[in-house]
Amino acid sequence: MPPQVGDTLPDFELLDHAGNRRRLSGLIGGDPTVLQFFRGWWCPKEQAFFRRLVRLQAEAEVAYSRMISVSTDPPPVSAAFRAGLGARWTFLSDESRELQERLYLRETTDTLNDPYVPAVFVLDPELRIHSAYNGYWFWGRPTEQELAGDLRELTRRLRADWQAPTP
Amino acid sequence: MSRCWLALVDGEPVGAFASASVMDAAGKPQGTLACWRRRAKPTRGALRCDERIIDRDGAEASISLVLAPPGIRLPFDDGAVQHARREVLAGIPFDAVSTLLRDDSHFEGSITVARSPRATEWLADDPFARIFPARLLHVGPGMLGSVDPPTGPTIERYGSANPWPWEHFEQPLADGRGRNARTARKTE
Repeated sequence: MPPQVGDTLPDFELLDHAGNRRRLSGLIGGDPTVLQFFRGWWCPKEQAFFRRLVRLQAEAEVAYSRMISVSTDPPPVSAAFRAGLGARWTFLSDESRELQERLYLRETTDTLNDPYVPAVFVLDPELRIHSAYNGYWFWGRPTEQELAGDLRELTRRLRADWQAPTP
Repeated sequence: MSRCWLALVDGEPVGAFASASVMDAAGKPQGTLACWRRRAKPTRGALRCDERIIDRDGAEASISLVLAPPGIRLPFDDGAVQHARREVLAGIPFDAVSTLLRDDSHFEGSITVARSPRATEWLADDPFARIFPARLLHVGPGMLGSVDPPTGPTIERYGSANPWPWEHFEQPLADGRGRNARTARKTE
């Protein structure tokens, strides 16, 4: 069964779009994080959803929230797709599909590309899933407002100074 | 608050934690790049940097050193500085990068470290060099390390006293635990 709300994700390691080996916990640090699994650059639904994420990026960049996208594309393909999108977050490559198998996120209906089934998780710094979205059908994916709500809720929970100190 | 100071000095950097000789592209000596870990400013012209970029086991490297001209400062929140940070995140990752600060509110320069041929070539297009003049230099071993690139897309400082891209707050999380991302990499 794919990961569910409340589950803790494994602290996996994958290559990023530049070929650096990266560990999930290091990428998340101490911030709320949107972790997206996507089919590949070739999917029109992904292209549409990435436009949503790029809009979210304009707010996330000042909100101490991180974003990570994972696919089975090799790093050079991820780097080219990322550059074309204008994305400024980390893309990871699961070219071997080991993580895909481990997370039960293989899209079995696409035997040509063998991609990830689209999914979005909002994680806390302990790699716990705060919210989960199944994007197999496009409308299952989170809106910007839903992601903003998740990030607000997590930030409120994480930051001891959510209520600003007053005199 | 970062207590890691960086300066390009002539002569011996007294009391430095790490230092290395610096040359320009023609091989002409340009002084010594030095780092101090202390509260007080160690020498005139020293600026605070992200301490993760310092590694006494680090290999030699090419750098782009951007410094504000004397008497000129720019708010860290200036749109040009914000956009340079975006460009750094969007581009190819360097071995390490840090903005340079004297106080909590101004951008006074940056240092970008490269070792691969591709990244070294890209130093000439350092986004921070569009703000203040840059010098392309070669730094000897024993000074600069490698740091995992920022996850993105955060362009803000984690506390105004910390140089970007330092990636965590000083205070613990609400559950009482601190979490310092260990992102410094040893150079090969």
